[in-house]
Amino acid sequence: MPVAEAEAALIHRYGRHVALNAAPTALLWLGTTAAVALGDGSVCWIGDGADPQAMPVHGGAILSACRSPDGAEIVTGGDDGRVCRISPGGKVAELGVFARRWVEHLVVSPASGLLVAGVGKEAVVWAKGAGAPSHRYAVGSTIGGLALDAKGKRLAITHYNGATLLYGTNPESGRVALAWTGSHLACTLHPQGRFLLTALQETGLHGWRLADLRDMRMGGYTAKTRCFCWDRKGRWLATSGDAAAILWPFDGKDGPMGKAPLLRAGRKNARVTQVAFHPKDDVLAVGYDDGVVALARLADENTLLLDTEGDAVTVLAWNDAGTRLGWGGEDGRIGLLAMDARA
Amino acid sequence: MAPSPTIPVTVLTGYLGAGKTTLLNRILSENHGRRYAVIVNEFGEIGIDNDLIVDADEEVFEMNNGCICCTVRGDLIRIIEGLMKRKGTFDAIVIETTGLADPAPVAQTFFVDDEVRARASLDAIVTVVDARHILLRLEDSHEAEEQIAFADVILLNKTDLVDAQELERVRQRIRTINAQATLHETQNCVVPLEDVLERGAFDLGRILEIEPNFLSEDDHEHDDAITSVSLRSEAPIRPELFMPWLRRLTAEQGQDILRLKGVLAFPGEEQRYVVQGVHMLLDGDHQRDWKPDEARTSRMVFIGRNLDRAMLQAGFDGCAVRAA
Repeated sequence: MPVAEAEAALIHRYGRHVALNAAPTALLWLGTTAAVALGDGSVCWIGDGADPQAMPVHGGAILSACRSPDGAEIVTGGDDGRVCRISPGGKVAELGVFARRWVEHLVVSPASGLLVAGVGKEAVVWAKGAGAPSHRYAVGSTIGGLALDAKGKRLAITHYNGATLLYGTNPESGRVALAWTGSHLACTLHPQGRFLLTALQETGLHGWRLADLRDMRMGGYTAKTRCFCWDRKGRWLATSGDAAAILWPFDGKDGPMGKAPLLRAGRKNARVTQVAFHPKDDVLAVGYDDGVVALARLADENTLLLDTEGDAVTVLAWNDAGTRLGWGGEDGRIGLLAMDARA
Repeated sequence: MAPSPTIPVTVLTGYLGAGKTTLLNRILSENHGRRYAVIVNEFGEIGIDNDLIVDADEEVFEMNNGCICCTVRGDLIRIIEGLMKRKGTFDAIVIETTGLADPAPVAQTFFVDDEVRARASLDAIVTVVDARHILLRLEDSHEAEEQIAFADVILLNKTDLVDAQELERVRQRIRTINAQATLHETQNCVVPLEDVLERGAFDLGRILEIEPNFLSEDDHEHDDAITSVSLRSEAPIRPELFMPWLRRLTAEQGQDILRLKGVLAFPGEEQRYVVQGVHMLLDGDHQRDWKPDEARTSRMVFIGRNLDRAMLQAGFDGCAVRAA
């Protein structure tokens, strides 16, 4: 990348880099404070302009993390089998221990208050406010991904040869088995629960329209899709796994069936690893496998360069107000950008 | 940006009771200065507590890519990805498989998944064989035979429990199945660990020489027995004929071909071309220059079932430059 272009990246004017000693698993915002969950088992808090404050939480690596349902704390899952809730003040509450197992997935719903962890072949549910697991659902093989709808009731669990759909608030919930050959990994439910999309081991997405269980295939990706993000109105689903961010239209009842996706922020010789819609604008943040981070507008092909170097971007997130964007690469370099600085 | 080096992965196979656990305990407890993350099977009985010991689930699934024998270990893809979050806390990975495991899905995992390939590379398949029971096992177990066939390194263990005559029969039998693996005869798996770990057997850059098979390939015990077939050609091999031949061969006979390796001389090329494969999956690249005093002989070895030596040799010869 030309030097002038690299220097023009917005991080140098409106943000800063913070070097951490481990690979980030998740970057979560509580207001304007970023919490970074790390591969060395620690959580690092980074307030506006403040020095990073690291605290050890897990024995091995943190494999999954999300905000608590009330948005005031964070929840982490580790390869030490523990699920912990951590407050910005540094108080750690242990929500569960699963000996010799890995807590690889965590999803949460502010609407229902549910917290769900993927631990081996079990989806473990904490009901609203529960300090210990409330109930669990076992599936036939190791869980590849979890998703909740916007109401936080429908729960999707992916595994080998398909996905299982149930009502996560009901311990005795009936199940819908969705079958499709292959290993299904990360997944996402349409906010209104009309579609389930899963990422396949072979690359590409599989989808089901839940009203009639019709199958959808969305191919053409050069790498596995690991990151999904819905825009604030549920019209677009942005996905990683190719040279551009691939956005599928979901405004009609047929979803993307028979329609072409929108391609944004495409680059040569780089692959999109992370996508994050701005919470209030039609703007998409995009992270790549070469450390570049850019902003793309939905309305046109314009992009704005935010960061230009580093290892593959593995985490990328806006705060709720849309005034902060944070990202991090495998090398532990965190980028933090204050968007309100431009006003 | 230079790609970061990949983590070497050793796969440890062997029938129940052959001595895998003994070897694993040595790897975990000896003072060798290297840190190993060890992925053990569900029923493993490692007596050592170590946060780098991970339980595997042996979840084999078929890739949805139209390749009928392309099964991989989904749990390994997941575990290796998870371990990589702790990059820097270990130097290499050892995967223990259950006694009844077919090694192919484990090996194929390292060919098929791009992200695993970017981070970890298959180093060698090490098979521990119980000298006393192996001949009986081979009578009734495909898996015991496949574990030997897939091996890069074989530890012929418990040699103290058989007499010299029996040991020679076992050696011969192993060599019939796999003439290429490095064979160490051991008691209690006592062997320098550097002879077992981080060998680079799957590293194309380290495929050095393919030894001619010293046993007759017709030494079958029964019809579907696994054998090795090695081929050679003094005439250079034409890549435009060789590549399609090998692809067609593995597409048609990939289920029977467990492993293959080749070192090839292409006409007018200063570099050796090396190729290896597991079932239908192939990997090949130019390696190093031929040395001035090195005979530019092309060699291939196939290990598998129902291998028709005459047909393979004819196919290979058909790829060679014809003498004027």
